Amino acid sequence: MTSHDVRDMLDLPQEGTPRPTKKQKLNGPRPVLKGLAREVQNLGGDNPIAIVPEVTVFKKRRFATRKPAAKWDARPFKNSARQDGLILRHWRRKDDKPAAPTVDGEGEEKKVEEIEDSTFAKYNVQVNIPDYTDEEYNLRLQNQEWTKHETDYLFSLCREYDLRFPVIWDRYEYEPPIPQPSEGDAAENAGALIVPPKTRTVEDMKARYYSVAATVMALRKPPIKMNSAEFNLHEVMLNFNPAQETARKKFAETAFHRTKDEAAEEQSLLLELKRIMARADKLGEERRELYARLEAPPSNGNIAPYTTSQGLAQLVSQLASADRSKKHRKSLMGGETMSPATGPNTSTQQPYDRRESSVRESISGPSGLNNKKGSSQNPTERRQLTEEEERIYGVSRHDRIGTSGPAFRQEKILKPLQSKSAVQQQKITNVLNELGIPYSASTRLIMPTAEVGEGFDALLHSINNLLDARKLVDKLQGEIATAKAVRAERERVERERGEGGAEVKREEGVGIAESRKRSASVMSAASDRSGKRLKK
Amino acid sequence: MASQPLTSSMQPTDVYGGDEVSAIILDPGFSSVRAGFAGEDTPKSFYTSYYGVAGDRTIFSDEDIHNPLIKDLEIRNPMSKDGVVEDWDAATQLWEYAITSRLTKFKQGDPRTNGLNDKDADVEMDAAEDEEKPLEEHPLLMTETAWNSSKNREKSIEIAMENWGCPAFWLARNSVMAAFGAGRATALVIDLGASTASVMCIHDGLILKKSVQKSNVAGNWVSSQVRSLFNNSEPKVELIPHYMISAKTPVDAGAPAQATFQNFDHKISDSFRALEEERVISEFKESVVQVYNGPNRLNSTHPSGIPNIENVKAMPGRVFEFPDGSNQMWGADRMSVVEGMWDERAALPVAGEPALTKAQTIPEMVKASISGVDMDLRAALLQNVVVTGGTTLLQGFTDRLHNEMVNMYPGARIKIQAAGLTTERRFGSWVGGSILGSLGTFHQMWISRKEYEEFGASVVDKRCK
Ligand SMILES: Nc1ncnc2c1ncn2[C@@H]1O[C@H](COP(=O)(O)OP(=O)(O)OP(=O)(O)O)[C@@H](O)[C@H]1O
Ligand SMILES: [Mg+2]
Repeated sequence: MTSHDVRDMLDLPQEGTPRPTKKQKLNGPRPVLKGLAREVQNLGGDNPIAIVPEVTVFKKRRFATRKPAAKWDARPFKNSARQDGLILRHWRRKDDKPAAPTVDGEGEEKKVEEIEDSTFAKYNVQVNIPDYTDEEYNLRLQNQEWTKHETDYLFSLCREYDLRFPVIWDRYEYEPPIPQPSEGDAAENAGALIVPPKTRTVEDMKARYYSVAATVMALRKPPIKMNSAEFNLHEVMLNFNPAQETARKKFAETAFHRTKDEAAEEQSLLLELKRIMARADKLGEERRELYARLEAPPSNGNIAPYTTSQGLAQLVSQLASADRSKKHRKSLMGGETMSPATGPNTSTQQPYDRRESSVRESISGPSGLNNKKGSSQNPTERRQLTEEEERIYGVSRHDRIGTSGPAFRQEKILKPLQSKSAVQQQKITNVLNELGIPYSASTRLIMPTAEVGEGFDALLHSINNLLDARKLVDKLQGEIATAKAVRAERERVERERGEGGAEVKREEGVGIAESRKRSASVMSAASDRSGKRLKK
Repeated sequence: MASQPLTSSMQPTDVYGGDEVSAIILDPGFSSVRAGFAGEDTPKSFYTSYYGVAGDRTIFSDEDIHNPLIKDLEIRNPMSKDGVVEDWDAATQLWEYAITSRLTKFKQGDPRTNGLNDKDADVEMDAAEDEEKPLEEHPLLMTETAWNSSKNREKSIEIAMENWGCPAFWLARNSVMAAFGAGRATALVIDLGASTASVMCIHDGLILKKSVQKSNVAGNWVSSQVRSLFNNSEPKVELIPHYMISAKTPVDAGAPAQATFQNFDHKISDSFRALEEERVISEFKESVVQVYNGPNRLNSTHPSGIPNIENVKAMPGRVFEFPDGSNQMWGADRMSVVEGMWDERAALPVAGEPALTKAQTIPEMVKASISGVDMDLRAALLQNVVVTGGTTLLQGFTDRLHNEMVNMYPGARIKIQAAGLTTERRFGSWVGGSILGSLGTFHQMWISRKEYEEFGASVVDKRCK
C-alpha cells in the first residue's frame, strides 16, 4: 500500500505536501539487487521493507591449513626440589623436541639423562631458620622459662610450619621427655592425660624464637658487619616486646567481642569524627582565606573611605555581590547559620539513645564548645568566655563604638603613624629599624594583639618624644652656633673699629635677624642629614 | 580473527601455574564418591557411596542398587556416621569401581580376582600381582576429614600404593580443599555434607586443629527431621517410595492417595527401603525445605510484635507430591524442619536420638571455631567464610548464615563465599583437589612410591599435616 492509497482513504488532498527530497534519499542508497531479492524489495513500494542483510558466513571454518594433527607425548620430567627423584609425566607437543627416540635399546639410558626438570622447581624456597649448637646454647641461649628440649621442639615446629606462628601455636603439643620409653607407644594418651607443664601463648613462642634467632644471628655475624637488611631484621627481632603484643591482642579481642550496641556506638562515633574532621578542614580553609584577604597589600593607598562603619558596610556589600556565587564566602559572613545542629548528618543521628549523646558531649570538650544539644535548642546562644580567656583573646568591651566605627586593630595601630607627614613617617621608621623592629608602612606587626598594640603605641610615643627632643637639641645647637658666630663677628668688628658707630650697630641687628632665619633652614638641613645618617 | 583461540601448545602454563600429570582426585564422602582428573572442573565419576550386597555379590552401580527385583539386596555404606571409612574392603572396592569405570582403563581381569566379587581366591593372588594395576600411571590425591584417624590415613596410602600401584600419593583435608576450591588459602570453612557438619579455620592451607568443630546437623539429620515432620503431621504422611507404586491417579491436595502397589515375591530388605525413602526425602529437601532467613530467628518475635512464625505462615506454601500421588501444601513447617540447625530448641524430636545440644548448632560451632584461633587471624577468617557441601544448598541457607554471623560479630566485616553453581558447592572439596593436583608447584609435595617404600605408611602422617 502506498501513501497515495492512504491519502485516498482518509480523504486527504492529493500530494498536499510533496516530499521529493525523501524519495531521492531512499533511491540513493538502495542496493542493486537481483532476481528474487529485487522482487521482494519492490513489494514495499515507496515504503521499502527493512530487510536484514543475510549473513552467509557465520563463522569461518578453521581448517584453513590442512596440517596433520599435532603429535603429543607424555614426557617424563623430574623436579629438582625433590630428593627422591620422582618422575612424573606430562603431555607436551612432540615437535617441541626434535629427533624422537626411535631406538629403544640404548635410548632408555639416554632418556633418563636428558630428563627435563620441572619449571616449577625454582619456586621451592625455604624459610631460613637458624641453627644452634649445644655449646652455643649452653653459653648464650639459656633461659629460665625454656628447657633446651622444649626450645628444640619449638624450632622443629618453626621449621615444619615455616614460621607460621598461629599454626605453630595451634599444633604445639610439647611433652617433656618421659623417663620410661615404654610409654612411647601410648604417647597420644599420655599427652591427653598429663597436663603440659606450661601453656605457651603465641607471644611466648615468638619471644623465645626471636631472642634465640637474634642471638644466633649476632653470634654468626657481629651486628657491625651486617648489611642493612640483616641489621634491621636483627633489630626487629631484638626489640620484640611480648607484653605489648599481649596487650594489643587483648585490646583487639575486647574490640572483637563488642555487642551490637557498642558496634553501633562506634559506628556513630566514627561518623562524628569524620564530621569533625570535615569541619576542621573547612575551618582551616576559611581561616586561610581570611588571612589571604588580610595579607593582600594595601597598596591601593587610600583606605580612608573604609575606615568608617558605613564605608565598611559598603565594602562588605560590594564584596558579597562580587562573589555571591561562592558559597563558602557566604558561610564566612553568616557563620552562625552553619551551626552543627543544621548539619546534613543530624537526621541520621536522631535514633541513637541518650548515652551516645553524652559521649558526644564529652568528646567535644569540657567547655561545651559545639555542644550540639545546646545549640540546637538555642542557636543564637553564645559561649561565655572566662576572664582568662578574654585576656588571652584580647577581648575588650566598649560602651559605644567611637565615631570612626569598628576598625581592625592593625589599622588602629597604624593610624598615629599614617596621620604623620611622609617625612615624619620616614623618621619614625628609621628609628624603628634602628631599634631592630623591622617595620615599614606595607608590612604589619607579626602579632598585633592588644598588648602588643599598646606597647607599640607607647613605643611610637617615645619615638615622637625622642624625635622632638632631637629637634630641640638641633635647634638649640644651631642657635648656640649662631650666637657664637655673632659674637665672634662682633668682636672682630669691635677690634677693627674701636670707636664704633650706632649706624653700624643697626645694620648689624638686621644682619643677625637675617642670619637667624638662614640658620633655621641650615638646622633643618642638618637634622635631615642626621636623619640620613641614622638611616644608614 | 582476533578471537583465534590459543592452541593448547602455546597456552601459558607458567602463568596459571598448571602442569598436568594426569593425577586423579578422589573425594569420598558419606553420600557419594567423587573422582576425576586433576585440572577438570567437575568430577567425571560420581557415584553414591551406598552399595548393595546380594548373597555373595557386591553391587556398585547406581542402576543396580535401586533395583528392587534383585533378591536379598541389602544396602550398605562403607562410611561411618562420622564420615570416615569404616569398612575398608568395601570402600576400596567402591573407590576402585569409581575410578576404573570412568577414568582409567577398566581391565576386566579374572572375575575371581578383580576385587568386584568375593575374595576367597587367594590362590590366584600371584597371578593378579603381575597384572597391571589401575593407577600405575596416575598420582592419586585423596581427601579425608579433619578428624580422620592416623590408622585410617595409613590405610589410605597402603591401598593407593599396594592395591592400585600409584606412583605418588597425597592425602588432603577436604575442608582445606574446599577453601582452595573457593580460591582461598585462609578461610573459615563451613561444610555441611550428609553425615557431618563441620566448621574449621584454615590458615595458609593448614587446618588449625583447635578450631575444628563438628556435629551431626547435616543432610542425614535434616532427613531425620523431615521424617519426624511426616510422622507427626496431621494426618500422618505415609512415606512410600517409588518402587512400591505400580500405578497412581492424580488426587486433590490433602486427599488420600489412590495408587496401586507393586507386589514382589521376595522380601524387600529394610535397608533397601530406607535408601529408597531417602531418595524421596532428598527430593523433598531440595524442592520444599527452606531455611528461615528473615530477621532474627523463626521462633522469636518480630520487633513489630508479631511472632516471626506468623509472618511465615502468611507466605505462600509449597506443594509436594509423593510417589503415591498424594500431595499437600507445606507452609511454615518447611522452615521449622531445619530451624534446629540454628536454634537447638526448635529441633523436632527424633525417636531414639538424643536431643540436639546448643553446641551442635551452626552458630555455636562457628563461635567455638573462631575463638580457637589467634586473635590476629579472626578478622581475615570472617572475611573469607567458605560454604560448601550439599546441605548448604538448602534454600536460604547462606542468607541465614550471614544474618547469624552478623549478629554474633556485629563489629566485624563478614563475607561469605558460596559457589553459585550447584555442582561447585557439592563438589567443593573435589574442585579444590583438582586445582591443587594440577599445580606445577605441587609436584614436589607428592609422597612418592620410593618414599613410601623407604619410610612406610607412617610417612603420610609426617607429610600430610
Ligand atoms: N539441593 C539440595 N538441597 C538440600 N540438600 C541437598 C541438596 N543437594 C544435596 N543435598 C544433601 O547434601 C548431602 C550430600 O552432600 P555432600 O555430597 O556434600 O556430602 P558428602 O560429602 O558425601 O558427605 P560427608 O561430607 O558427610 O561425608 C545429602 O544429604 C543431600 O541430601
Ligand atoms: Mg563432604
